[in-house]
Amino acid sequence: MIFEERQVEKNNFSSRAIFLFALVGASFLAVLFQVFALQVSSYTSYELAALNNKNYAIPIQPLRGEILDRKGDAIVRNDPTFDLITQPDLISQPELFLELIKPVIYLSELDEAQYLKKFKEKAFVNKELVLKKNLTAEEIARFNVRSFKFKNAFIGKRHRRISDYPEVFAHVLGYTSRSNNQYDLSMEIPRSHWVDAELTYANGLIQGKTGLEETYNQHLSGTHGTRVYEINSRGRLVKTLEYYPPAKGLNLHTYLDIKAQIVAANALGDRKGAVVAIDLKSGGINVLYSAPTYSINKLSNGMSVDEFQDLIKDPDKPFFNRALQGRYPPASTIKPAIGMFGLTNQLINWREEIDDPGFFILPENGRIYRGWKKGGHNNVNLKKALMVSSNTYFFKLAYQSDMKDLASYFSSLGFGSSVCSDCYDEDSVFIPSPEWKYKNFNVPWFTGDTVNIGVGQGYLVATPMQLANYISILANKGNLPAPALVKGKNQSLDSNKSQEINLSNEDWVKMHDALTAVIESDFGTARSIKNLKDFQVAGKSGTAELVSLDSKEAYLEVRDTELLRDHSIIIAFGPMPNPQYAVSVVIENGESGGAVAGPVAIEVLKSLLNE
Amino acid sequence: MNNRPSKIYFDPYLFFSLFTLSIFGLFFLYSASNADTSIVFKQAVYIFLGFAIMVAVSQADPDVFRRTSLVFIIFSILLLGITFLFGPEINGAQRWVRLGPFSFQSSELLKLALPIFLANFLFDKRLPIQSREIVISLAVIFIAFMLVARQPDLGTGLIVALSGLFVLFLSGLSWSFIGGAFIALIICSPLIWNVLLQPFQQQRIATLFNPESDPFGAGWNIIQSKIAIGSGGIFGKGFGEGSQTQLNFLPETKTDFIFSVIGEEFGFFGVAILLSIYFFVLMRCLYLALNARDRFCRLVIGGLTLTFAANLVINLCMVVGLLPVVGMPLPFISRGGSSLISLFFAFGIITSMGTHKKFLPQ
Repeated sequence: MIFEERQVEKNNFSSRAIFLFALVGASFLAVLFQVFALQVSSYTSYELAALNNKNYAIPIQPLRGEILDRKGDAIVRNDPTFDLITQPDLISQPELFLELIKPVIYLSELDEAQYLKKFKEKAFVNKELVLKKNLTAEEIARFNVRSFKFKNAFIGKRHRRISDYPEVFAHVLGYTSRSNNQYDLSMEIPRSHWVDAELTYANGLIQGKTGLEETYNQHLSGTHGTRVYEINSRGRLVKTLEYYPPAKGLNLHTYLDIKAQIVAANALGDRKGAVVAIDLKSGGINVLYSAPTYSINKLSNGMSVDEFQDLIKDPDKPFFNRALQGRYPPASTIKPAIGMFGLTNQLINWREEIDDPGFFILPENGRIYRGWKKGGHNNVNLKKALMVSSNTYFFKLAYQSDMKDLASYFSSLGFGSSVCSDCYDEDSVFIPSPEWKYKNFNVPWFTGDTVNIGVGQGYLVATPMQLANYISILANKGNLPAPALVKGKNQSLDSNKSQEINLSNEDWVKMHDALTAVIESDFGTARSIKNLKDFQVAGKSGTAELVSLDSKEAYLEVRDTELLRDHSIIIAFGPMPNPQYAVSVVIENGESGGAVAGPVAIEVLKSLLNE
Repeated sequence: MNNRPSKIYFDPYLFFSLFTLSIFGLFFLYSASNADTSIVFKQAVYIFLGFAIMVAVSQADPDVFRRTSLVFIIFSILLLGITFLFGPEINGAQRWVRLGPFSFQSSELLKLALPIFLANFLFDKRLPIQSREIVISLAVIFIAFMLVARQPDLGTGLIVALSGLFVLFLSGLSWSFIGGAFIALIICSPLIWNVLLQPFQQQRIATLFNPESDPFGAGWNIIQSKIAIGSGGIFGKGFGEGSQTQLNFLPETKTDFIFSVIGEEFGFFGVAILLSIYFFVLMRCLYLALNARDRFCRLVIGGLTLTFAANLVINLCMVVGLLPVVGMPLPFISRGGSSLISLFFAFGIITSMGTHKKFLPQ
């Protein structure tokens, strides 16, 4: 009985124990199956997840290319600078560290405060922290002697974007500055890693903001390198796993001429204005200067807020690029264009003379348009009209012209459009026309408006760049590669445009002859600059009126306010008879064109020719 | 058999498989602790001590455990009370009791005392066991569970409860009762979820089903554990080469998640070998249980072994993402003195019960 019961009990236990152990065995199988699923079936995705955990890629900033002038000399280069870089994870007491290093490196209170603020976060993740930028030679020497005392700091080489001519080339080069969205997203480096980029520039991840630096940012930028760190779960950098060096940006070869640009700047002095010079063979822009100016070195490498505010508030607007954006009435410098238009449309010829009594009366309403010289120039033909700058001749010629045709002729000379292939933020301005006037002022076009345009006044305005382009087309007898700053960027002139400027060679020769007489003859309006050089120069000066006045007396009154004084303009090319360079100069409130702007143009031409 | 007093009670299969597990465990711990030799050394001392205890305990006759089972469980409960009154609070829980230079988790003792007590209470009862015994047994189990669970240590509490329930089941609890209890459990599950479970426990269960919902918070552990195991592949990344382990992406590498370290560094191959050893240990224990000398021994071996198995399976399922995260070490491998000593103690009892044969009265 007892035995039976024991046997029943034993069997009962056995079956129940086996049942439970079978459950355990099933659990084992489930675990094994799950491990198999993780390690074999999904291996690749988990392997990738593990790599994503530990690999931390950061970009390495490349050096920007240099910007070179036409002889290959650097206008902007990368200047080494030395920063004191610390390794916070090796510094246990930052305050003590600062006390120790203060006798070696000068630190302002702001430096110290900023350092301590960033310290904790950087120490935690084993990242470097800059204590002081742009060390002096003395500080470097002092540190190097004592470097054995500072195992937790070193001097790191960084760069600054520096020009040796920071003011002279400010507008054309433009500046660089740190950018908040300077990510190269093609690099497969997550956006959040860019704050840890390995910097080559002291100023951080920089980008061209204006000028050539902006236009050719891509070209200059180079390619970022990559460093892949191994990090732990707290984001602490453990070691470098992979390293791909950055590739320096390409150099930019420009047509700019350092010497000529400096000459232009010096010649303008502290007057406001602009100078543009173009190489007639290539269309390359040799000089592009605007005054007043500012220092791109300061702007690119950290300028105080006060200094920046002063520049912005300066009534002379130093940031304003007068060469590309200044709108000036071309004044008498437009006369050759009007003459060419007259010749093309057979409204005039070289022989025909008119009487210039010193004024022109508009037949429709009897309104009088005055010349600059009381009593006039008597009998004038086209050559004389250009030479002595007869207003009457061109009033009359404009009066005979159809404004629509004239507007389209201006357009073929580059007015009303941006003419430079690669200039930053060039103003294309506009060409006045009946439609334009109606749209802007809601009044119809009057014949008198056309008459005013005949002497480059009224609604007609142009930038110094457009004036330079126009005189270059004229100098090259109607054919000019599109102006450009950078070599190889010129586009050939639009074919239909050049068709419109098809004077006969005889007309071109005569035109050049007449414009040479403006300077070289004893009666030319710009004869005052004749003896400043030992080669012949052709050109046309102009005096742009800011207020329309009928008498000299009235002007003398206005003249007391400097900002209302006439602008002085000249466009010139030389040496004649085979010109190589053309130049336009505008000097704001400079008055008489030939005498004031003329010498600047001559200095620039001389500099370009005496290379 | 004449020289009975000099006989050493010893099961070579259990001894050597546990020895292998422990030695492997030291290597795993070395890697999991980023080569911290002091941790490994301390663990080695515990293992040595553990084997000594196991061998010593296995010499005792099973009757010793039977006769002392009531004292043992009262002592365990008293210790839990002391823990509750005087134990230091660590991470919001009172689990440890300090005795001189040693401190250990008092709940570990209850995992041993409860099944032995119940085995003693039930082994001489007629089949099927009566309601009175069931009620008493369940009451004791419930008290033991509540004492541990309120520390709070729900994981260990459940293991303690399971250790009792295993014995109750093995001693012949009627299937109809089990079925009824099961249905009652399902009906009460919303109540359990809402009333008994703390919010963090609810979250752990929710995380199991969707770890990606909070990858840097509640889901972090299980996500990193899966990445560690998965990236180990078939042969693993090599000893000390697991990036998840060495760069601290994997949490609790020395304790709860040490299996993930093994998975990462030794791959599927290593995992299969490890599981085989555990499986061998369990099969050996089953064999010992089935061939034990009496019902008491069978119940004790079965209860202790299944408790060990439950502990092991819960840890494994947790780290591979089949169960919610509960604090549960991997037996014989995770760092921790209390757990090791209590494990060796349990296997000492198992050896004793499995090797002592009853001699028919002469």
